[in-house]
Amino acid sequence: MMDPSLIAFYAISAFILVTGFMTVISTRLFRSAIYLLFSLIGIAGLYFLLEVEFAAAVQIIVYVGGIVVLIIFSIFLTNQGGASMPFPHLIRRNVGAAAAMAGAAVVGTLAAAYEWHPFPITFDTSMSRIGHMLVGTGEGSLVLPFELVSVLLLAAMIGCIVIAMKSRHEEK
Amino acid sequence: MTDFLHLLHHELLLSLVIVCMLILKLADRGRSGSSWSNLLNVLLLINFAGGLLIEAEGSLFDGMFRSNALLHFEKNVLSLGLLLVGLLATPYLRNHKHSAEFHILIASTLLGMFFMLSAGHMLLFYVGLELATIPLAALAAFNLNRGESSEAGAKLILSSAFSSAFLLLGISFVYGTCGSLQFEQIALTVSGNPLQLLAFTLVFTGFAFKLSIVPFHFWTADVYQGAPIPVAAYLSVISKAAVTLVFISVLYSVFGALQATWTPYLLITALLTIITGNLFAMRQDNIKRFLAFSSIAQVGFILTGILGANVDSEGIVLYFLLIYLFSNLAAFGVAGLISAATGKESILDYRGLHASNPRLAWTLTIALFSLAGVPPTAGFFGKLFLLTSGASLGNYLFIGIAALNMVVSMYYYLRIVKAMFMETTAQPIGKIPTGVAPAIALALCIAGILVSGLSGSFYEHIHLLTLSY
Amino acid sequence: MTAIPLTHILVLSTLLFFIGVFGFLTRRNLIAMLMGLELMLNSVNINFIAFNKYLYPEQIEGLGFTIFIVAIAAAEAAVAIAIIINLFRTTHHIDAEQADSLKY
Repeated sequence: MMDPSLIAFYAISAFILVTGFMTVISTRLFRSAIYLLFSLIGIAGLYFLLEVEFAAAVQIIVYVGGIVVLIIFSIFLTNQGGASMPFPHLIRRNVGAAAAMAGAAVVGTLAAAYEWHPFPITFDTSMSRIGHMLVGTGEGSLVLPFELVSVLLLAAMIGCIVIAMKSRHEEK
Repeated sequence: MTDFLHLLHHELLLSLVIVCMLILKLADRGRSGSSWSNLLNVLLLINFAGGLLIEAEGSLFDGMFRSNALLHFEKNVLSLGLLLVGLLATPYLRNHKHSAEFHILIASTLLGMFFMLSAGHMLLFYVGLELATIPLAALAAFNLNRGESSEAGAKLILSSAFSSAFLLLGISFVYGTCGSLQFEQIALTVSGNPLQLLAFTLVFTGFAFKLSIVPFHFWTADVYQGAPIPVAAYLSVISKAAVTLVFISVLYSVFGALQATWTPYLLITALLTIITGNLFAMRQDNIKRFLAFSSIAQVGFILTGILGANVDSEGIVLYFLLIYLFSNLAAFGVAGLISAATGKESILDYRGLHASNPRLAWTLTIALFSLAGVPPTAGFFGKLFLLTSGASLGNYLFIGIAALNMVVSMYYYLRIVKAMFMETTAQPIGKIPTGVAPAIALALCIAGILVSGLSGSFYEHIHLLTLSY
Repeated sequence: MTAIPLTHILVLSTLLFFIGVFGFLTRRNLIAMLMGLELMLNSVNINFIAFNKYLYPEQIEGLGFTIFIVAIAAAEAAVAIAIIINLFRTTHHIDAEQADSLKY
């Protein structure tokens, strides 16, 4: 008899991998985006299964609610909604598949063969602990990168506005 | 508290400058492009001068942020580079309606580089690296009405994100096997088991993309050609210098235990990079593509210097980067002036430049001589030192090939000099107005090339700095 | 819940990473390439969380790294999409292959 969480894990893994694979082979761009959405939701499910609820919440809010929506917007803004993408050239496809499979074989084998030593204590991801890590000043605090990310987001925002915004002069 | 201010003074000052730029932009009442440039260049000058004032040594946030005299020196060099790029960009920005945003974005990438250099923790390093790349992609796409420029931006951001993903996969395995993201802790626990070697290979691949080391160089020429010239100059000089310096510290101190692994990696990639860069540079007619491939070849020589990994190597590379900064900025500066005034970017258009613009022609000549490593310019000593550093390992065949390539590279650098001085064309470039700011920047570059080449005390200073850390 | 072996999670994340690599290498549409990249970054996130939970549960550095990767991926995607939209506006295509104004 298998452990129920193990069964759930295999089901979620299969879901993530199948939808992920459909994302990269679907010939319609919009369908690709929807498969990506499902794959990312599957990853959020995996985080729930691993009892890392905060990561699951971030995954849903930022990836599913933000990035995928952004991608779908951009598909419509570039009029590719119903567009179908030609199947990649045979040589390119085979080379890409060979490279990806070789890489997966090497990384997968080495990671699976490594002797990991799990440390069986509960993983405490309470909000207060995360808060102390992100903006606290105690040991192991990440406040400096946290502040730096805010500069990054500001710069990215300015860059996006400059590039994507149509100025009134141009429209005239 | 004063400790905090002293150690972080470069970063705090630069953040302040960025905030000032933002406020100025918000309070803007239809200021013209050139007055913007002057104002913002003054801010960059303050940034550079302020950086020189204080030197402090220590670390903050449990070793996450480190600072010492060597890092201060490196940051000063990068600030100077940003100032020069700002001055050289004046003619380009004169007619661009987003000149304030240009400066804000480019200054924030410098902030990212500062944190990346000072990082003692993988997370700070990664965030700094991304801050140093993402706004650059926006800058590469800054010629809003030209598809070429947008393509350059798209290629830059997609290839840099692709390389970041490999870097991150490597970092995740480092975390898994070492249990820490602190550089010092990692250095203590790296033992070289197969998974760690894989992790290191992935991290190396990520760096190879960012430094455009062959075979991960394919994005470079397209991005340089499509991006505005000041941005291409910044990419090829400042951001390359910053990533190289971090690469050195990651190789030497974090993965120092794996030297037996990275020596062959560096050897092979250095050889490929030098040869490929040279072969392609010979065939280019567009000055930007030419400079792109020539800068790929220069990275190969830098790798040769890193390969040595003896007490002098870091100082040698830093010295070469400084010379490279002055030389390449001067070359890009002249190309940028000509492109901004006439739109001409082909090497064939440079025929007869000496007759119409003797000063620009001489500036470009000195810069190209220095890039080629023609004695007695600074570039010659820089390359000589790099080769001696690489030769300390005893693989003389490799050094011989590198030296041979150095001679070959002189051919294509001199080709441009020949075109400017000895050839003529039916439609020569007319007299180009230089403008005050670019003239100052070019004069500084030339002074830098000459002083660092002729005066030994410059190298002595850098050498002593690197020895003590 | 520790019934799930760590190596299985690692195999999952590795497969997902290289599915993303495959997508990035074979797709010619810039938006589709971006989707491949998102898959790659997500697989790295899974790695970090799995290592953190299984091997080093006494601290939460891996989870912190994941949060930062998510934030930066969002910024990256936003800038990439802004550039792609502007590229479409000027040239009316978003195909990396048709982008033949720049060639080797």
